[in-house]
Amino acid sequence: MSIVAYLPRRALSLAEEEAAAPPAFELTGRRKLSEAERTLAGQIFGEFRADPRHHEFVLGCINCGECTTGCPAARFYDFSPREMLQIALTGDATTLWDALQEKIWSCCQCYTCNMRCRFGNDIAGIISVMRELSVRHGVEATRKTLAPFGRSLTLLMTVGTQVSSDMIQPDFFRDWGPFATGSDKVWNVSADIMRKAIPSDVLQTTRSSWEVSVQTSLELFRIYEETGVLDMLRGLDPDLTEMLIDIIEERREEFSEARERFATELAGMKGTVATFSG
Amino acid sequence: MLSASEIRKVVEERNVHQKGTGKKVVDVREEMHRLEDKGELIVHRIRPENRPVEAKTLFGWTKRIPTDRLWHHKSCGQCGNIPGYPSSLLWLMNETGRTYLNEPHQTSCTAWNYHGTATSNPTALAAVAARNFHRAYETDHFPLIHCGTSYGDYKEMRKLLVENAAVRTKVREVLRKMGRDLVLPEEIVHYSEWVHAMTPEIVARQSRSVTGIVATVHEPCHYYKMVPEDAVYDDRVYAGQRPAVPSGILMSLGATVADYSTWYDCCGFGFRHILSEREFSRSFANLRKIRPMVEEAHADVAITSDTGCVTTLDKSQWIGKAHGLSYLLPVLSDVQFAALALGAHPYKIAQVHWHSASAEGLLEKMGIDWKSAKAEFQEYLRALQSGAAPELLHPAHGEIETFFAVNKGQVLPDEAPGAPVAGAGPDVRRGPRE
Repeated sequence: MSIVAYLPRRALSLAEEEAAAPPAFELTGRRKLSEAERTLAGQIFGEFRADPRHHEFVLGCINCGECTTGCPAARFYDFSPREMLQIALTGDATTLWDALQEKIWSCCQCYTCNMRCRFGNDIAGIISVMRELSVRHGVEATRKTLAPFGRSLTLLMTVGTQVSSDMIQPDFFRDWGPFATGSDKVWNVSADIMRKAIPSDVLQTTRSSWEVSVQTSLELFRIYEETGVLDMLRGLDPDLTEMLIDIIEERREEFSEARERFATELAGMKGTVATFSG
Repeated sequence: MLSASEIRKVVEERNVHQKGTGKKVVDVREEMHRLEDKGELIVHRIRPENRPVEAKTLFGWTKRIPTDRLWHHKSCGQCGNIPGYPSSLLWLMNETGRTYLNEPHQTSCTAWNYHGTATSNPTALAAVAARNFHRAYETDHFPLIHCGTSYGDYKEMRKLLVENAAVRTKVREVLRKMGRDLVLPEEIVHYSEWVHAMTPEIVARQSRSVTGIVATVHEPCHYYKMVPEDAVYDDRVYAGQRPAVPSGILMSLGATVADYSTWYDCCGFGFRHILSEREFSRSFANLRKIRPMVEEAHADVAITSDTGCVTTLDKSQWIGKAHGLSYLLPVLSDVQFAALALGAHPYKIAQVHWHSASAEGLLEKMGIDWKSAKAEFQEYLRALQSGAAPELLHPAHGEIETFFAVNKGQVLPDEAPGAPVAGAGPDVRRGPRE
């Protein structure tokens, strides 16, 4: 049967399309939104265009496609930085909403598009703005995309490093081969001993990239509290956020007890060590 | 497709915004010094004790690279899964008689997370940067950034803090709550720029010939595609048409640096992808980077100078066997390669055993008796297991530093009870601009 047979005899009117049963996508590829989605899409669009970075990062576009010819993600995904920039320029909330469902997460953030753009657009930057909004508003597709990041977000929020050596486990990093994921087994000693063989004491930990002092982790969490990062995270994963707050509360108690324990050594010291209370 | 009038509207908005805020800054460093004069921030000066060496950037600007009295801003990825990277750098500093602090009082830049999940925002990123900068300032050691992404991010944050008064005010307010102040270093310096500045001293200590070794360089995107005007270029390296690092040190050590068609491509790290969508990372790394390096350039080793790049290019190769891509090209950082050329132990210092693509064939080409070194390392592991004390490159930290950011340098001026306050008075680290 020829593919022509599948084509409609005439284009449907908008009213006819809306009255029709799903599919959720119209022939143009535009998503059909529920009322709640339409409201959220409008809110996100408003915030996007009001963000000062929109003026900083989006300077114009002649659709030359230079950005896309160098884009690594464009080789493997239905993704194009040129399209992202056009979406950033569009006046249509639904088009932006569509991009938030998947495409924004294809970008590698390598900045190759920025380097190639003759207008000097910050395309990687404007994609980050879209991502931030998607996180802040807890867009469902974003929750799913970022679901595997609970462990690394916990590390990041509590000690400020993205990875730890004990994250590199064979069940999740099987494709990295036996040396990266199980060097302790290859060498027949525990992971702790493998880390101890690194000639710097601050690196001899499996729980973080390096040992991070309690004061440092508390200062970092203070930054997250003061700059709205915790609120963003709450939009994405409220349970994780509450767990992080509990962890930090314990650290604060630990810090307070340590101040009493090291009172003699700390006496007369200057700098933040003397003033920071947790 | 947008209409011409829609495009013109956006461009006009941009023009109005730019004119209204006066945001066009040519060299952000100049504006940074002007803000210091107004008491808005403190510039952490490079002093004679830092033994600076001058280099040129892409735009021909002079950049001063401090080579001594440094504060190591470690990389979370390097330390987490390729620890031979930082240990080789520390070893090179010991060999060349440079002093440094390697502390537990540093956070990562958190930009891996930002570029991967966007669960942060520019004000938070700027505050994280400024906290680390202040910590370095507090100890009177100049920050040296290990990671390409941290380096790029910190340059973006410097620009943001200099150009945006609202962010500056907010960050200062946050820092004050922890007894810190807004400090920006005179230069944002990547460790590979330190290697570039130290090349004569490193080469003078070379004990192993690398002549005959063919190296392909992967240039880390965030080193030269983020705030590109500040990256170091040198007319002696690719006639100044590509970044000087890390190619320069390889050429100076005597290796052959071979070109390949996809040198400009990223590695495939992707920030989010390397953790949760590695089918992309490994496809890109194998097909667009490793294959051309081997088939076009016949490389013995791939060298790069960033965390994510070593990780992606190295760790992605093992699974390539499933698709008949059995290249297993060793991937090292420039400092691991340089340390090996200077006689460093391949396992105790360069820690090559953490890499997925074995480096042992390369070690053999470099004339290194890796079998004896491996046996020695195995003996060392057994000793550690029996309770022997580990060999360290710098003194261990005391228990108090598990909790407190002890100010080792005790360099704060007597009149300041806590952290120095911008414009508050004399400070040994400030002094005249050079």
